[in-house]
Amino acid sequence: MHFAPLPYLDPGSGSFLIQLLIAALLGLGIAVRASWGKIKRWFGIKPKADEDDDESTE
Amino acid sequence: MTNQQNSGQLPASFRDPSGFLFSRGGVLYRQVNRAYEHEYARLFESGLYEKLVKAGLLIPHVEVDQASAENARAERSEPTGERSRSDAAYKVIQPERVPFISYPYEWSFSQLKDAALATLSIQRRALKVGMSLKDASAYNVQFVRGKATLIDTLSFEIYKEGKPWVAYRQFCQHFLAPLALMALRDVRLNQLLRVYINGVRLDMASELLPWKSRFNFGLLTHIHLHASAQRRYAGEEVKSRTSGMSKQAMIGLIDNLEATIKKLTWTPHGTEWGNYYDITNYSDAAFEHKKGLMREWANRVKPALIWDLGANTGVFSRIVGTIGSYVVSFDIDPAAVEQNYLQVKSEKTENILPLLLDLTNPSPSIGWANRERESFGSRGPADMVLALAVIHHLAISNNVPLPQLAEFFANTGKWLVIEFVPKSDSQVKKLLASREDIFPNYTREGFESAFIEKFIVHDAVNIHESERVLYLMEGK
Repeated sequence: MHFAPLPYLDPGSGSFLIQLLIAALLGLGIAVRASWGKIKRWFGIKPKADEDDDESTE
Repeated sequence: MTNQQNSGQLPASFRDPSGFLFSRGGVLYRQVNRAYEHEYARLFESGLYEKLVKAGLLIPHVEVDQASAENARAERSEPTGERSRSDAAYKVIQPERVPFISYPYEWSFSQLKDAALATLSIQRRALKVGMSLKDASAYNVQFVRGKATLIDTLSFEIYKEGKPWVAYRQFCQHFLAPLALMALRDVRLNQLLRVYINGVRLDMASELLPWKSRFNFGLLTHIHLHASAQRRYAGEEVKSRTSGMSKQAMIGLIDNLEATIKKLTWTPHGTEWGNYYDITNYSDAAFEHKKGLMREWANRVKPALIWDLGANTGVFSRIVGTIGSYVVSFDIDPAAVEQNYLQVKSEKTENILPLLLDLTNPSPSIGWANRERESFGSRGPADMVLALAVIHHLAISNNVPLPQLAEFFANTGKWLVIEFVPKSDSQVKKLLASREDIFPNYTREGFESAFIEKFIVHDAVNIHESERVLYLMEGK
């Protein structure tokens, strides 16, 4: 198996780029969900309540 | 940290340009540097501090007199240079005292999972008010009143739209990778954190995780593809680090990390002591007698901090906990610690902290100059140590001579409740069945003569319907 250790000086570019990529995908998902919610509301279907500030970690 | 005797700056906080921790007269303070003024103000003005403290997610603090800060600064033997202006004290805060500092390699699966979820919950709340966590270190989380709580008040920065989460890689290394390894490979892999203080490197996590983990979207992206990207772009510089990620994308990222972590589960099975109380040789009468003695002695000594060494699922920790002491409930078995923590959580117990510890190889001091994270021993001594049904494991399974055991316990706590388990006991017979008996001194007399060198024996009681003896001792 090819094994390339991270260089001594690693500015963390890989982490940065993959985060942008994943987040773009996931952000798109949120946007789609939001528009889907709008469409449902237009048909009179109530969306589930948003997480409010009192959410707990449990 | 809580038992730090010397004053001056503490070694765990040297990296942070926003401020530092110091102790004075046994009290812990945090200096907020002038460089952090803007962020500190926003934390309060936005109402974030209040919300987080109310939710038990952030350690509460009070602001104290500036004079202490100036003194502390003077004690830092750092040359005055370009850092000095931003290093100047803006405020000094006194955070609520954490009764016992613990580290991620001492946590059970659910403890690490709850610490991860608390971190994400804080990040989500911070984003709502235009702030963001600049660190996602597992060492910034401690268990306070039974809940995972952020103890670094200076972890927040002002969120700039477009900027990615600066703590993303750290979160993956400190939380996601070890949790995935524990859930999908082996729960004992949390011990990697003891070796790698900056968390599990993702190329290693990717190698160690089972192949099927690639079918989990979160693990595929945040660990496997993340590791490939690190390899692919290693050493390359990326221009324009401040643009490209919308707030919506950031929230999507946090949501996905949370969903991925929530899906990781571990059910204890097949470990050493998980069902210990079902297989023990104690009769009900003996068990009740032992419980009664523990209650009575804890009440007599009224210790503030108790270390229950070899606590199993914490049955006796709970008994001594009823008098209000803070009990750290250590055990070697991940299943027992997990069960103990889940019980603490479901009963909302505030004064019991279950932790993983191998007494024959306790947590060392690690990190920069071996001073960043304290060893097990340097976080003591406790006011009282419980050593119930452990001596035969140390003396016989681990071959530690009795005088050395006496010395160890004398250094570990002021008071000691210890149970002597004789060779005639069925549990010890089992230990000796497969090995030569090279322990001629392992007798009640041998035990007592070793321990009276270091302790005054206040009480010694034969436990009903058993051959075991329970002692209450005080260090000389």
